[in-house]
Amino acid sequence: MSYFNVEKEVKEAKKSLNECVDFSYRYFKRGEQKIAFVYLKSIIDPSLFSSAIYFPIQTYDDKFTFEVIKNDLIKCVDIKEVKKKDIVKEILDGRVILLTNFSEKILSVDLLKFPTRTPSEPPTSPVIQGPREGFVEDMQTNITLLRRRIKSQDLVMDVVRIGNQTQTKVCITYLKGVANKKIVTLVRQKLNNIKIDGVLDSYNILYCLEERPGSLFKQIGNTEKPDIVVSKLLEGKVAIIVDNSPIVLTIPFIFIEDLQNSNDYYTNHHYSSFVRIIRFLGLLIALIAPGFYLALQLFHYNILPLNFLITIADTTQGLPFTPFLEILFIFLLFQVLYEVSLRLPSYLGLATSVVGALILGDTGVKAGLISPPGVIIVALSKIALYTIPEQAPQITVLQLVFIVLGGSLGLAGIVSGMVYIGNYLNNFDSFFTPYLAPYSPRINEDLKDALLMNPTYSMRHRPRSFSPQKKERL
Amino acid sequence: MKKISINQCGVLIVMCIFANKILLMPSLMYERTSADSIFVLALLFLLDFIILPIFIKLKTLYPDQKFYDVLKEKIGIFFTKLIYIAMLLFFLFKCLLVFSITYVYFKQQIYQDEFLFIALIAFLPVINHAVFVGIRSFSRTIELFFWIVIAGFIICLAISLFTPISSPLFFMSSVSDFFSSMHNHIFAFGDFMFFFVIMDRIDFKKGNIKNLYYYSLFAIALVITLFYLFYAKYQTTAFMHNNALADLLVFSVQFNAIGRLDIIAMLTIMLITLFQMEIFSYAFCDCFMGIFPLNKIYSVVVFDILFLLLYYVFIGRYETMVVSSLHWLPYLALLINYLLPFIILIIVLLKLKRNKSG
Repeated sequence: MSYFNVEKEVKEAKKSLNECVDFSYRYFKRGEQKIAFVYLKSIIDPSLFSSAIYFPIQTYDDKFTFEVIKNDLIKCVDIKEVKKKDIVKEILDGRVILLTNFSEKILSVDLLKFPTRTPSEPPTSPVIQGPREGFVEDMQTNITLLRRRIKSQDLVMDVVRIGNQTQTKVCITYLKGVANKKIVTLVRQKLNNIKIDGVLDSYNILYCLEERPGSLFKQIGNTEKPDIVVSKLLEGKVAIIVDNSPIVLTIPFIFIEDLQNSNDYYTNHHYSSFVRIIRFLGLLIALIAPGFYLALQLFHYNILPLNFLITIADTTQGLPFTPFLEILFIFLLFQVLYEVSLRLPSYLGLATSVVGALILGDTGVKAGLISPPGVIIVALSKIALYTIPEQAPQITVLQLVFIVLGGSLGLAGIVSGMVYIGNYLNNFDSFFTPYLAPYSPRINEDLKDALLMNPTYSMRHRPRSFSPQKKERL
Repeated sequence: MKKISINQCGVLIVMCIFANKILLMPSLMYERTSADSIFVLALLFLLDFIILPIFIKLKTLYPDQKFYDVLKEKIGIFFTKLIYIAMLLFFLFKCLLVFSITYVYFKQQIYQDEFLFIALIAFLPVINHAVFVGIRSFSRTIELFFWIVIAGFIICLAISLFTPISSPLFFMSSVSDFFSSMHNHIFAFGDFMFFFVIMDRIDFKKGNIKNLYYYSLFAIALVITLFYLFYAKYQTTAFMHNNALADLLVFSVQFNAIGRLDIIAMLTIMLITLFQMEIFSYAFCDCFMGIFPLNKIYSVVVFDILFLLLYYVFIGRYETMVVSSLHWLPYLALLINYLLPFIILIIVLLKLKRNKSG
């Protein structure tokens, strides 16, 4: 009795896949028994196919049955039975389909293999101490990196597929009994609601997950380091691993996270606290230094120390621009240079720095177009920006806002701007978590890992800000 | 409903207690009662402070009910609306007074003539935004800046110790001056009345109620210290210095090396002013929405119109605003600060009696 016309089925599969060039099939025939192997040769491991599937079948000299093939002959780990309607989907997932004319069952064997890189130190987060491994584009490797660190039965990994065309695998990871159920449900709900053509990177879904889409402020954490993701999972957060992306998203996110660095946990906590304060000061300088300088120069020069005032007066005398336009000009100049240096090949980068810093800056001052204090202030704010590189995009926009506020309204403008931002950020709770916690609202327990850091052994409770199910770490 | 914690409630009351008392009031009071103003201040604070336990009792008896609904249930809708109109005016004029006093400080010190538009452009949108985002958000912001404000305040007080000071002379004013000064400056008090407006938005479960007393006492102590140091520093010329907190920094020669320190007072006063205006405008809008069941946006528009209108009426003569606060506004304050708490006390007692008999 013949169950499948294997040639017809192969033809149908080929047609469904638009007869693409990497579509492959092989037949094995012995007497009346016929077996067809269907796969995409570009995404399977050909040597494994030969050694673990084809060769054992070829060398078997008895009558074939489906059970014998499945249980005895195929030497692969991931084997499953599938339905006829799933054949194309399985082939696209890098699996080999086995069709026979002596059984109604269809076998699918995982042989997925494509070029991947090995885990290495991510360029975005180099460390002095602590693990140097980083995530890669292969989701399976990324899951392995997490599994290696969390040997717990509570680690949950649910996979959903997003993208009508790309069918990208997205893995929701969390610790059962630790992560807040409400957050997990909301994340899953948001992921299921994403209607998108394709997901090429985790950033494609990041904007769909945000509680306030379109907001300037970062609402979802991202990292390339497995140790960071593990520490966040232990805090009760949810991680989202996207296939083909080395960036793993973490939810919920609060502002203070960007002041923290994985290095902090591997060094002395006194030093870590000091570094965090420096980062915070860097953030403040980056945010308001140009605007503050303008406010002092234009409205409140009487509070400047006399010597400083004389220096400013000396250097700004005879400039063709107003102070506001001067700072704006230098700000834009720096931004242009930054954008150019990012996109130029590395051998041209040095030349750009020389042209930018020496020729444009120095000549600009000598030509009397810009003043040295202006250059120093803007340069300082631009350097300070990179004490927290994760916040650089939004701080750059806010720098401009504060330049306008300081230049037009003086200190009143800057103070109002700060309070406005405070009110705005306090108004959105990202995934049931106050954005500016643990400072507003003040959560005393969480202050142990805020600007000032306590030793890690004293952090016996998970951060209350994320409302974990299990409060104790032990 | 988004509620605020006891801690946030505490920081709000600190800002309310500072309102109208840290710039002009010490010199105004000195004109009539010289250094005895500190006793006037202490007595007015004491009278104010009695309201706090009344509020706590009312809140415990009606944990989730709006103040408007409690009043409506007990004294009827007509009188409730009348009280709410009085409260609306009380908060509006408090907001205007805070702004007027700060306006004069900034005009004299830094902005010269341009400050009016600058202040309106800088402050009004932020205040309106605060009303829109609601009490939980802006009280969190005040909580965020709270220790910065307090640090600025304490630094101003501490720096004044580096100038020669001597204890001011007490018991120089007559009893009539004492009480008339109390009457004149009563409008700057009644700080705890804001609590009644937001009664249903306070979560007594979040935190220790005792903290409310601690916060209030802390703010009162700071204001009294400010008065004392100000009088100790300027003695008989105190009435000539209109910006108490900022004037404490003047003549501190030890700090010349790091330049002028006015910026500390300037930033502290700006933050305090902004927060106070947020609180008062929120209270105004809440009262407005109690009287007229309209959308929040209408209340904000009405606040802006009234604020600008009154501001333009008074701004040419800033003294008018101050004189009003000393002459006719105290009658409004008497109603809000003492008559209303008395009504509330009766409501509380009746409820307690009913609970006992029930």
